[in-house]
Amino acid sequence: MKPKRLLVEFIRSTWYIYLSSVTLHMVASIVYVFFPHVLGEFTDRLQGGQMTGSDIVRYSLLLLIIGAGHAVIGGFGQYLVMYVGRLFEVMTRRRMFVHFTGLSEHFYSRNGVGKLLSYFMNDVTGVRESISMGVNQTAMATMLFVSSIVAMVVSGIPTYLIVASVGPLILIPWIVTKFGPAIRKRSLRVQEALGTMTESAEEQFGGIRVTKKFAVEPIMIGRFGETVDRIRDNQLKLVRMSSLFQALVPFLGSLSLIVALSFGGYLTIEGEITLGNFVALTLYVRMLMNPLQQIGNVINTMQRSRASLERLNELLTKTPDIREIEGATHVDLSTAGIRIRGLTFSYPDEKKEALRNIDLDIRPGMTLGIVGRTGSGKTTLVKLLLRVYDPPAGTIFADDRDIRELTLESLRSQIAYVPQDGFLFSTTIRENIAFSRRSAELGEVETAAKQAQIYGNILEFPDQFETKLGERGVTLSGGQRQRTSLARGLIKDAPVMILDDSVSAVDAVTETDIVRTIREERAGKTTILIAHRISALKHADQIIVLDGGAIVQKGTHEQLLSQPGLYATIHAIQEEGSQHASGH
Amino acid sequence: MPQAINNWQMDQKADLGKAPKPQYRSAFRTLASYSKPHRLTFFLVFICTIIAIAAELFQPYLVKVAIDDNLMVGKNDYGSLLVICAVYLGLSLSGLLFTYLQNNLLQYAGQSIVARIRKQLFEHITKQSMAYFDKTPGGSLITHVSSDTEALNQFFSQVLLSLMRDGLTLVLILVMMFQLDATLASYCLILLPVIAIIAISFRSFMRKTYQMARTRLSRLVAFVAENLSGMNLIQAFHQEKEQEKQFRKRNESYFQANLREIRTNVLFNRSFDILSNLSIALVTWVGGKAVLGESMEFGVLYAFITYIRQFFQPINTITQQWNTLQSATVAVSRIWGIFDVPPEVADKQEPLHLRKEDVKGRIDFDRVSFAYAAGTPVIRELDLHVRPGEMLGIVGTTGAGKSSLISLLCRFYDVQEGDIRIDGMDIRELPQSELHRIVGLVQQEPYLYAGSIVDNVRMFDETIAKETVVRACEFVGADPLIRRMKDGYETKLSERGSGLSAGERQLLSFARIIVFQPRILILDEATANLDSHTEQLIQQALSAVSKGRTTLIIAHRLSTIMQADRIIVMRHGVIEEQGTHEELLSLQGVYEELYRHSQGERNDNADKSNSRAGMIEAG
Repeated sequence: MKPKRLLVEFIRSTWYIYLSSVTLHMVASIVYVFFPHVLGEFTDRLQGGQMTGSDIVRYSLLLLIIGAGHAVIGGFGQYLVMYVGRLFEVMTRRRMFVHFTGLSEHFYSRNGVGKLLSYFMNDVTGVRESISMGVNQTAMATMLFVSSIVAMVVSGIPTYLIVASVGPLILIPWIVTKFGPAIRKRSLRVQEALGTMTESAEEQFGGIRVTKKFAVEPIMIGRFGETVDRIRDNQLKLVRMSSLFQALVPFLGSLSLIVALSFGGYLTIEGEITLGNFVALTLYVRMLMNPLQQIGNVINTMQRSRASLERLNELLTKTPDIREIEGATHVDLSTAGIRIRGLTFSYPDEKKEALRNIDLDIRPGMTLGIVGRTGSGKTTLVKLLLRVYDPPAGTIFADDRDIRELTLESLRSQIAYVPQDGFLFSTTIRENIAFSRRSAELGEVETAAKQAQIYGNILEFPDQFETKLGERGVTLSGGQRQRTSLARGLIKDAPVMILDDSVSAVDAVTETDIVRTIREERAGKTTILIAHRISALKHADQIIVLDGGAIVQKGTHEQLLSQPGLYATIHAIQEEGSQHASGH
Repeated sequence: MPQAINNWQMDQKADLGKAPKPQYRSAFRTLASYSKPHRLTFFLVFICTIIAIAAELFQPYLVKVAIDDNLMVGKNDYGSLLVICAVYLGLSLSGLLFTYLQNNLLQYAGQSIVARIRKQLFEHITKQSMAYFDKTPGGSLITHVSSDTEALNQFFSQVLLSLMRDGLTLVLILVMMFQLDATLASYCLILLPVIAIIAISFRSFMRKTYQMARTRLSRLVAFVAENLSGMNLIQAFHQEKEQEKQFRKRNESYFQANLREIRTNVLFNRSFDILSNLSIALVTWVGGKAVLGESMEFGVLYAFITYIRQFFQPINTITQQWNTLQSATVAVSRIWGIFDVPPEVADKQEPLHLRKEDVKGRIDFDRVSFAYAAGTPVIRELDLHVRPGEMLGIVGTTGAGKSSLISLLCRFYDVQEGDIRIDGMDIRELPQSELHRIVGLVQQEPYLYAGSIVDNVRMFDETIAKETVVRACEFVGADPLIRRMKDGYETKLSERGSGLSAGERQLLSFARIIVFQPRILILDEATANLDSHTEQLIQQALSAVSKGRTTLIIAHRLSTIMQADRIIVMRHGVIEEQGTHEELLSLQGVYEELYRHSQGERNDNADKSNSRAGMIEAG
């Protein structure tokens, strides 16, 4: 029952729209079925010589009314069903977005943005197609089919003639379901080949400097050419299949007509049916071709979207792994110290321990420096503090309360986090800096920008603080991004601030200035500095050195320098650079 | 709709700007020249099309014959009815066959043309000089090669097919109608302009709504994509509610655009339907009176009714092609816009040659001046002479001209004044391919291709043996690391070498240098962005690689170049200071200040304006 939940809920809330739409479609089909019937009657009266001038006008008008009635009623039905399909998209996407905001980094690390986007776009659309098109076309086609048969029987066309004439048409849905998936498979292969070519072009243009520097252009042109040929071959394979299909469907229609012509004609000659019946029969056969093809399409769409629906349901039933417990409380981090006891942590699905037996006290107002090599666990520690991942119970405390018992809000709104990558959104610079407080005055934003040493750069942009960032706007350098991201953290003015190697792409002189401002601004507030350059954190009240997930050294800069160990080594490498290196 | 993500990605990459106005005539003249080798195929397609549509067109006519000659007159001649059926069956079979042939032939010709254009386009772009790549965003080049040519492909597979098939169908229906009854046919002809006006006016309106929906969709996708990648930040700053509000706005606006699109679509299709029914009623009325007045046979009326119904389908299809036709035209003019640009840096007609093995490695810059844009020189009358085998360090502020100097030596650009010589020969006299093998370059961001490690080191040049690659990797110290990988040297690297750390990637690019043995080596910030330990490994590789070569090193970390034979400090396109590390320190100038900062010695009382002057910005 579970996998169908999404759809069931939706249909439950919109069933009346569906019902009206299906009804309208049915009425339209029934109206339409009279079309050949009226023409047949017209033929008979004409042949019988009972026709008068006013009859002709009457019949013409009748035909017009039938046609127009079908178009208008069907049109409303069609609009309703397409409307309800789009409604499904909007509602489902809204739900998905809310769901996405609750999922943790653990989820995102296993699901790339591309994959999630494909859920968001393709799967939702796939389901939409089958619930709007599917339901209605089936209803309409079935109705048209049934009422045509009934109409034929009623007008006195013998059943065996109907069966014989319509027989070949029944093959159409079967052929559609046979060919549909095969064609789709081949067309996917074309898309893939196209994607490969795009990737290849992307790669080659990206590395054009390298290609040119090694003078290997002919080789690269050859490599690209292969991807082009693959598209052509796949495309031709697709055409072989799809053109056969496209030719086959009308051919079956023709077969039906031939049967109607020969058999029906014979019966007309024999006087078993009237000429009017014969005319109506040929028209019915033509009329039935389309709905039968649609039924085939619907079957294919449904099959495709079933997988989509399952994926969506699975995604939406996934519970976030970081959750607030019931009765979670609030703690004021400006007065509460953070205490870490015996913290050992490994990432989900991984055996290796990322952190081992960490004991640490962070007093309110202190500045803590964390140094270590890549992969030593610096960032992991921070992620646990922010509950990006859940620490094991009873390891991290704020004000003697396990942080797992705090509200997420009290944790995240009181910690300002400045990540290394300096991720910014494609909005204006001002909106980026005022990310945590959208209503911040321009003056506050400017102050933060000045503190982060980015103010001068921003003023150089044409629209200054209103400059739009991103693909269609200005692109910032790595250093500028980091400094903007720093301003975003500073404006939050939170009791705790974490800088995760946040100035690594900034030059030495600017770094010096930034470190000084941070010291001034953060005086009396808790600050955690992570860096691989010692110069950025040597003024910290306490520095811990992480190696392989464990704290190997602890102390102030001077204490750590005076003892042999990793800290002194790193310092030596950084201060003396190549002299040390060339000594190897 | 699966297209939506693609479109969005394309939009992301492309610098679309304003689409040029379609230039139909010139665009199709060029296309015609490409079609020439396929003349015969196109002719065959034409023949096939006529045969293929004959079956469908003759069906109403055949029924008419059956009605008028057999059924209506009450002649009990079943034989001739069977003949009619047999003819129809034959036509249907040939229709099946020739529709198939027509599709395949047309696609074959179209695909061959598109493939040829794609290859030529890629080759042409590859031959451009670096200036071109600097000016043109990579994204738009990719758009040209993939989506513009794809628009062209759609022109062949959809527009041309529809023009041929539906156009011919329309014409032939009209011919048949006039054959049957000229008066009634002329009445039907009145419809044609009405249909055309409705179709065209609706189409342009529909295009607008369609584009609106597409723009809003790509905004929605872009927003979601960005929020998904920045989700950790949204959560860390507790901004879930706020972002959701913004999402709702975009989601809702896309929904509105969709509804508008649906309304237009339904309205258009239904008015077309009504028009079609109106014409049938008209034919019944006019024709019925004629039959009554014995001036027309009933079968003719039957045929007319059927033809009128067949008439609307091709018109609908053709007008649907309008969008595709337009985008194809724009694509063609964009593609030919690229073909029209000749490479800026070109080889001499009769180039001189320099054997790589004989190159000593002496470099002379003589009074070289260069500017990317007129009026703002980047290099000013620069003189620099490098001895064979010398190791030269280059430092300087952003915009000092360090990288431009290197680009000139690689001849990514041509100097505007003065000349650059290698072993006394002007580099403009050399073919670019030879120059590029003589001068090797290692960049800050090592670039790796999708492919095995071996292929990456030998740049897919299969004439280079695997043993050579292995030896090179051993030489730079990458061998133990590669052996540890799953498939050793055959390990496939995914895009841009992901899975390897920055340092490991850099080691591979050093191995490339060993394989290709350039006589002059340039390292452009090749050791930046590495953590201290990887840097040590790279330093060792560096000293291995630079042995016996003239080596130029650009660095912003002074530690990399301290032991160079000579260091030059550049500022505003000229050499400001030069000498060894010790000499420069004793000068107490720009270098000395840079050195102090890199040592992390903070002197808070230092003159601020002075420190700004020495500011160097990392990439």
